[in-house]
Amino acid sequence: MDPIKLKKKILTRNDHIAAEIRDRFRSSGVSVINMVSSPGSGKTSLLEKTLGPLSTELAVGVIEGDILTENDARRIAMTGVPVHQINTGGACHLEAAMIRDALAHFDLDALDLLFIENVGNLVCPSAFDLGEGARVTIISVTEGDDKPLKYPAMFHTSDLMVINKMDLLPFTDFSVDSVIENARSANPSINILQTSCRTGKGLDGWMEFVRSFAAG
Amino acid sequence: MHELSIAMEILDIVEREASDHGAGRVINIRLRIGDLSGVETESLRFCFEAIRGEKDATRDADLIIMRVPVRIRCAPCAGEFEGEGHLLRCPSCGGLETELLEGDELNILDFEVE
Ligand SMILES: [Zn+2]
Repeated sequence: MDPIKLKKKILTRNDHIAAEIRDRFRSSGVSVINMVSSPGSGKTSLLEKTLGPLSTELAVGVIEGDILTENDARRIAMTGVPVHQINTGGACHLEAAMIRDALAHFDLDALDLLFIENVGNLVCPSAFDLGEGARVTIISVTEGDDKPLKYPAMFHTSDLMVINKMDLLPFTDFSVDSVIENARSANPSINILQTSCRTGKGLDGWMEFVRSFAAG
Repeated sequence: MHELSIAMEILDIVEREASDHGAGRVINIRLRIGDLSGVETESLRFCFEAIRGEKDATRDADLIIMRVPVRIRCAPCAGEFEGEGHLLRCPSCGGLETELLEGDELNILDFEVE
């Protein structure tokens, strides 16, 4: 028997669900940002800094993806923003079906902006479309500036790279120029911001990005 | 280890298609996996072999994985290149006005049955 031809994307099912929820987001007027990073890059801190000021202007929600613990969700809940946690039970990434299920916990029509804090991992989440409108990769200066070369898929699929913990730059051998060059060679059109949650440096640029994204 | 999710999807798709075609046991499945897909070949093979026995049709199926290198076209050079290291940077002029031709696929090409 001849081989049975498929010529099919392996993640077709995930892509279908992602397309379905992307339609729901669009018809409810919700802008969705998928935030990815390796563990410890300061993703939750950046969100904490963002949610306070933003929640006075916009109706914001957060889906928190964690392998096991609820610590991050608790930190987010302290900001007063509605948060729903997905415990992946060991899985290293979120999938579109998990987001679809989590949406039952939100009133989408009342929401302007939804952050998805993905599981801390620069490899696995890259393959899974979550129906988001923007994907943001957070990297910190305490990591290697060659991260984009090691994990090109993530940077290739991201709209923005945030270089966080800039206050620690003098204590590291991290090269901002190198990380920018490396990120651009995985994604020539990637946007880049430099921030420090401790000193507040660059946070206005980040808020500007979020606001203009939410405004569509 | 998203390779486990991917292995599960491969099994589901192939089992469904095999039964739609009234086919018997699957001998092998050919995949095209781009270097820019974020998938580790050995890890995918390991996960697939661990779970292929869950479905009768795929019990003895082998994965044949074709890695697809990143290929880019550079606008200023008008040339086509294989991306290495700095994947989308043109190796000839160093520019970033490049277009990805292939290298991000995560596809099932076909499968063979008994
Ligand atoms: Zn060139």
